[in-house]
Amino acid sequence: MIGSIVLSLALASSLIAMVMYFLTFKGYQNTLNIGRIAYHSMAMLVIAASAILTYLILTHDYSYKYIYNYSSNDLPTGILAATFWAGQEGSFMLWVLFTSIVGIVLQNYSSKRGDLEPRVMSVFTLSTSFLLVMVSPLFKNPFAYIWTEPVFLGVKDISSAFLNQPWIQNFLFSDSSTNQNFVKMGPELYAALSSAGIAVKDFVIDGKGLNPQLLNFWMQIHPPILFLGFSMATVPFAFAIAAMMKNDYNHWVKQALPWVLAGAGILGLGIMMGGYWAYEMLGWGGYWAWDPVENSSLIPWLVGVASIHTLLVQRKTQAKGGIGKYAKTNLILSIMTYILVLYSTFLTRSGVLGDASVHSFVDPGMLVYLFLVIFIGTFIVLGFGMLIYRWKFLNEKIEGEESLLSRDLALFTASVVLCASALIVLVGTSAPLFGNAVDTFFYNDMHIPLAIIIGLLNGLSLLLKWKQSDGQYLLKKSFLSITLSIILTASMIIFGGITDIMMILLGLAASFSLFVNLEIAIKIIRGNMKMLGAYVAHIGIALFILGVIGSAAYSKHVDIDLIKNEPKEALGYQLIFTGYNPIENNTKYAFNINLKKGDKNYTISPIMYISEFNNGLMREPAILNMWTKDFYISPLGYDEGTNDSHNHGQVIDLEKGGSSELNGAKISFDRFDMPAETMQAMQEGKDFQMGAVLSLEFQGKKESFELLRKSVSGQVQFTDYTSQNTGLKIQLLNLTAGKIQISVSNPNEAAQENVQQNPKEVLSISASVKPFINLVWAGVLVMFVGFFVSVSRRLKESLVK
Amino acid sequence: MKNKYIFGGVIVAVFLFLMIYLLTQSNIQYENDFAKVMAKEKTVKATGSWVKEKSYELDKENKTFTFYMADQSGNQMKVVYEGTIPNNFESAVSVVVTGKYQNGYFHAKDILTKCPSKYEQQNVKSSSM
Repeated sequence: MIGSIVLSLALASSLIAMVMYFLTFKGYQNTLNIGRIAYHSMAMLVIAASAILTYLILTHDYSYKYIYNYSSNDLPTGILAATFWAGQEGSFMLWVLFTSIVGIVLQNYSSKRGDLEPRVMSVFTLSTSFLLVMVSPLFKNPFAYIWTEPVFLGVKDISSAFLNQPWIQNFLFSDSSTNQNFVKMGPELYAALSSAGIAVKDFVIDGKGLNPQLLNFWMQIHPPILFLGFSMATVPFAFAIAAMMKNDYNHWVKQALPWVLAGAGILGLGIMMGGYWAYEMLGWGGYWAWDPVENSSLIPWLVGVASIHTLLVQRKTQAKGGIGKYAKTNLILSIMTYILVLYSTFLTRSGVLGDASVHSFVDPGMLVYLFLVIFIGTFIVLGFGMLIYRWKFLNEKIEGEESLLSRDLALFTASVVLCASALIVLVGTSAPLFGNAVDTFFYNDMHIPLAIIIGLLNGLSLLLKWKQSDGQYLLKKSFLSITLSIILTASMIIFGGITDIMMILLGLAASFSLFVNLEIAIKIIRGNMKMLGAYVAHIGIALFILGVIGSAAYSKHVDIDLIKNEPKEALGYQLIFTGYNPIENNTKYAFNINLKKGDKNYTISPIMYISEFNNGLMREPAILNMWTKDFYISPLGYDEGTNDSHNHGQVIDLEKGGSSELNGAKISFDRFDMPAETMQAMQEGKDFQMGAVLSLEFQGKKESFELLRKSVSGQVQFTDYTSQNTGLKIQLLNLTAGKIQISVSNPNEAAQENVQQNPKEVLSISASVKPFINLVWAGVLVMFVGFFVSVSRRLKESLVK
Repeated sequence: MKNKYIFGGVIVAVFLFLMIYLLTQSNIQYENDFAKVMAKEKTVKATGSWVKEKSYELDKENKTFTFYMADQSGNQMKVVYEGTIPNNFESAVSVVVTGKYQNGYFHAKDILTKCPSKYEQQNVKSSSM
């Protein structure tokens, strides 16, 4: 309750701040301070609400639906705290929290830069208001109580002290097909509990738990960084609108630059962390699958990075007076960055991608869907409405010509290429909205030529002068880089065996950009360090592209079966499966594999286990990390070599009174055996058994027998029968209303097979070699560093009048 | 000035043409009616549910995973997937298979299984990079 109240107060404060800031912009006195106080109250209230949610999670208060749905008592503290953002409600909450904190910094920043604050903050608080409506009790409120809507809770989550109480019997249900018992939690049960004086948190004592795939380190760090990146995308939007409000396009460029750079750096890091998580833990066999959720955070990043390039041109060309080049482009890109963040949220939260994504988000309902549409619609109308309003003025301010060989044009082209990439991903990702999907080769094929252009521009633009350069000068200046990149590409062809022409071009473009940037960076290190940012970031992207060529285009992959203790050659390594051992308190199994190459020996252990959470087989890959490559093993399955009822024997469905003929034997299903006490035991949730009486007729001899379906403390067991006469083994597989399923096998025949062939333990794996994958990670980190070196430079510049 | 627009225009036109061409090439339709899936013989994403009564089969030698799927109106089809059983297959409420119906069965190159509750989806994801 208290959480919802705090959030509602925060929403009220946010609205007050928005109105007060807007009035200040309109020229009212006295309103600025109210706006500031209201904003800070909002931020404090949001922080308080987040603290309350964290406290409730840590103290296992399952009277809240969100906490019941995503956490449980057995989670370690770090993961438990991370369940804050495990579901939709919490991740919206995290977004509000980060946006509020970013706003505190923004308020301070803008208050020191002329009359910026009222304009920027009135736009910014519009965004916080929308987000706060999203987490309000109307929509995705993390503080909703568990009893607000009827929901079935597993009996294991309920304190056993209350299960024998008479009043609870009306709320007990049992599902006869899975034989699980449930308690129906809803307003009626809540009323019953209240009148008995029992607190819900004492009644519901455990939660559903977290998907095992989220149970790891990356869950604690990837979503917060991503949402910080999303939150920071609000800032350039606010700056662009603020500029149009005042009709002044000079100052916002340098004021927004540090924010755009920092936001792009953080979002980029967050996206690739998700890629690393998928690679290292989830066993996708790679770091990027063009999954809609990955894509939808990539799109705003690409557009944000595009805007950095044209913002730089505008800033540089402003030196002549005037508003500079690409003023309109910059406004559009800054607006689009945030709108695409919202669109990404819409795609992933509205349920429209239901069939298309690994990241599943349940349909949140029509109301939330509509609200998301209104949310995006408002920002589109605001952004583009202002643009149309100022369009004529902006058109009059348009500036001059550029030469084909100028840094201006090269930067603009870079921005266009990045937008083209964003458009490709946007089109592909939006396809499910129209009932279609695209194959991943669409993204790959489209991006190879773009990446070649990016590599070339990356090197070329830094050699070009701002105004105009001649070809002669260029050639002289780039002689060393061109030579070195030809040598590197040649060695890739000779030693790496790269033959695809597109990959050779891409390799050449990426190495060209690498050497140009390295050369300049080395010169700069001796001179002015703060100028280093752009070169470092571009070295990062060049390394990244080289890493992608190696690890994606030249990855080798095989699926093999490893028989225990029998060596097998694969991908130039000798692999021996040596057996498995339980780890982490016997909850998981590590399958140890010895890898041998020459005289080097390694052991790596992929992991498999059955998760209690969803009764599914979970697999975790193992990676042997070397300097120049990764050896990656993803487990597929394990066969102990014993008989498996799924694979042996013939499966037969029989209806009551029906019969089936098999190798001259006739099997009939005569009747069910269901004593009266079974019905009673079933309703009371006690152990019970049901029987099916069958008869087997073979060469004139008839025998009758009974197969049982037993339910022992919630576990279903089936019995089997071996006929002495025929040697057939009949195993009950399922028993439902009016029908049974049995498997009929001949153990003697199976045994004969087994005599010739000892049971073998077989581990099936998918093995791959990923050359130079380390360059991918290194490239991303270098890029991140580059962004932040640039931030520190642009931050200083943003203060200069 | 004029040259710039012609130059830019040509590049944009080539790019858009390439994108639309590839889009039509890589386009895959969702289909929840198996009668249509079987009639089409082209790559689709068929959505339906696993027919539990018919169990499934894992062929170790050929590395295939075979099971039956049913659509909403009860049409069933045999699905053969080149690979192993996906995580969570048994508890999936619905299954999305990508592939093509040929020679009397659906040849799946990708399986996506969807589980009853949120955030619970599993995928035999093969990364393209």
